[in-house]
Amino acid sequence: MNRLVCMNRSFFNVLKHNVSSKSNLLCALKYGATNVYFVRGTHEQKKIRSTMNYMIALGVMTVGLSYAAVPLYRIFCQAYSYGGTVGQSDADESISKMLAVKERPLKIRFNADVASSMQWNFKPQQGDITVVPGETALAFYTALNPTDKPVIGISTYNVIPFEAGQYFNKIQCFCFEEQQLNPHEKVDMPVFFYIDPEFMEDPKMEYVDEIVLSYTFFEAKEGFKLPVPTYAK
Amino acid sequence: MSTAMTFGQKQFIPTPPDKGSFPLDHDGVCKKSMIKYMNCLFSNNSNNSMCRLEARDYLACRMEHNLMAKEEWSKLGFKDVDLDISEKRNK
Repeated sequence: MNRLVCMNRSFFNVLKHNVSSKSNLLCALKYGATNVYFVRGTHEQKKIRSTMNYMIALGVMTVGLSYAAVPLYRIFCQAYSYGGTVGQSDADESISKMLAVKERPLKIRFNADVASSMQWNFKPQQGDITVVPGETALAFYTALNPTDKPVIGISTYNVIPFEAGQYFNKIQCFCFEEQQLNPHEKVDMPVFFYIDPEFMEDPKMEYVDEIVLSYTFFEAKEGFKLPVPTYAK
Repeated sequence: MSTAMTFGQKQFIPTPPDKGSFPLDHDGVCKKSMIKYMNCLFSNNSNNSMCRLEARDYLACRMEHNLMAKEEWSKLGFKDVDLDISEKRNK
């Protein structure tokens, strides 16, 4: 009994000590913790703030880059003629320096169309012409206005195959400008063009021997725009 | 041509001509040169290389009658036409 009590007492003492020591520790912890928390807090806050600044700066830079990318890309494309973009190079110089590549004759077929409401008779004077890259060529179309009223037409063209279109350079033609034909007038319309000698270096053009040039005439009225399919815009 | 099947493919973008548009020859002043050129093409099986002289004559006629801006022949790709003429004459 005594021993038990002794043990219990010692146990209690130990507990008391523990509790007191623990409470001491707790007190110390609380004090130190807040202290530590306080000290760590400013550091943490500084870190958080600087990280936030970096993130905001990154976001702003990304937005700015995406706005700047549009003119930059255009400049890049023009400088390196990427994707068929026409460069600012001088056309006169390149024409006077280019040499005809006699080994590669190409047949250019001519096609003429009119819009359904257009009453002109429009046809090519020659069905085809044999040309070599680097040599300037002349071709003729004829248009007749059979009506009794002057009609204004505007034309656009198309080149088939699609990949050959980038090598088809027109020096002068009758497209994209309004042309007026008086009643019962017949007129010759020339097209002066050449195929760029770089045609020879394109692997896609290896088996291309025929190019079709197709002109279409539309009637030009007030507020008329050359038709382009809506999904293409 | 753009059709429903060409959706997503590259679009053909027509480019304007380098030297602009030819004014129309309403009075037919250069028609004779044109007929000579067409005859040459017809007799040479539509070979452009043989008819460059006639093409140059047509453009000269246009320049003369103010239907085309005057340009040097080399800028129009005709610098070798003189050589061709002398070759043809020698033959």
